[in-house]
Amino acid sequence: MGPVLAQLEQSGLATWVRESGVLYGYPLILFLHTLGLSTLVGLNTAIDLRLLGVGAGIPLASLERTFRLMWAGLALNAATGGLLFIADATRHASNPAFYVKLACVALAVVTLTRIWSRVFHGPDRGRRLAAASLACWGVALGAGRLMAYVSEFIQ
Amino acid sequence: MNLAHLHLLLNHVPTVGLGVGFGLFVASLVVRSEDLRRGSFVVVFVIALAAIPAYLTGNAAQFAVQDRFELSEELVAAHQDAAMLALIPMELAGLVAWTALWRFRRWHLAALLLLLVVALGLMARAATIGGEIRHPEIVAEGAAASAPAWPRAAAFGAALVIDHPWVWPICEILHFVGLCLLFGVVLLVNLRTLGVVGNVPATHVNRLLPWAMGGFGVNLVTGMLFFLASPDQYTQNPAFFWKIGLVLVGGVTLLYPTLVAEDGDGQPDARASIVARLAAVGSIAVWTGVIFLGRFLPYLGAE
Repeated sequence: MGPVLAQLEQSGLATWVRESGVLYGYPLILFLHTLGLSTLVGLNTAIDLRLLGVGAGIPLASLERTFRLMWAGLALNAATGGLLFIADATRHASNPAFYVKLACVALAVVTLTRIWSRVFHGPDRGRRLAAASLACWGVALGAGRLMAYVSEFIQ
Repeated sequence: MNLAHLHLLLNHVPTVGLGVGFGLFVASLVVRSEDLRRGSFVVVFVIALAAIPAYLTGNAAQFAVQDRFELSEELVAAHQDAAMLALIPMELAGLVAWTALWRFRRWHLAALLLLLVVALGLMARAATIGGEIRHPEIVAEGAAASAPAWPRAAAFGAALVIDHPWVWPICEILHFVGLCLLFGVVLLVNLRTLGVVGNVPATHVNRLLPWAMGGFGVNLVTGMLFFLASPDQYTQNPAFFWKIGLVLVGGVTLLYPTLVAEDGDGQPDARASIVARLAAVGSIAVWTGVIFLGRFLPYLGAE
């Protein structure tokens, strides 16, 4: 794994993200990652709140189109997250917080697909799924924020 | 105009403006006018927003002025502590005023009355100490300038962050949680106005709004803690003041759904007016701008 990561990190694209120093490089990617996250996690949180009983009058069918936006946010963050990862591949790959974050994001996305199939298009009321979703996103956010601190601590 | 000038302009808002808001509120209770009462809630909420930059520019003013004039550090610190202490009931009053606009309950009146009286008293105290910094003539002859050493609200907040290394990362996480709550609910409310989220009355979607306001509150508290711990990092960065400017505009847009929800927008199939649509697009744009400036802070400001 090591040589592959090092190669990724040395690639032209990764070097540009890390070292170009231009505002439309690393800072823009970081902003887009935050925008994607606030769209995906923000809308998902609002849906979770609805499933837990806040604004119970909102018909679920009316919220269906927000899924497209959430998937767009996910796609944006997969792309920007990929760029941010390769820019510091070896450092991120040795960071336990990074794996916690990835696992929680994966769980949260699976939970969202289940909310779609079992609650929006099924009989489930979705209270448990909503609680699980909030928990996964919470830990994912926390682990993501702590990555910088954990990596400093390791080195 | 520099930030010290801006502080001089803004620092009258929480005192004079709060007095006006309080007067309107009391008058609305006396004449039992619901319109006047709602009007006073709007004034109190806007003043609570304006009090935020009034506080923030104070640190900038201190930075700008300290090399040019002889300042009593003791007085400046006392003014800062007094201002921080006054800001707490002021912001709580803003929160209660907004909640009362969103869904009125009778206890809001008692809570607001109490908070406004406390805020007025503490604001007057902060203003007096602030005035004495550059206007020694207002101190009675023979008397010492008032520099109360307690409670040291600003110093306490700064120490909380600086002395405990885990507070800053925790606040960062909470700042993101607050951001997601605020942005997610604001997005949903505005997507309804734009028709993307269809067939649902505004009143139902607006039920989620307190969670957006809660996110705003979390981010105000955590943001203030960042600022208290490291003021120069922010006051010396123009991008920070642009961000705060946008936060205030965004804060005002949070008033919009509480004011116009009954305006025909209540029907699921009502086509929102052009003005409502522009407000919705504007609100999303403003909060996106806040995220943009927040993310770019370390890169834009540092030359």
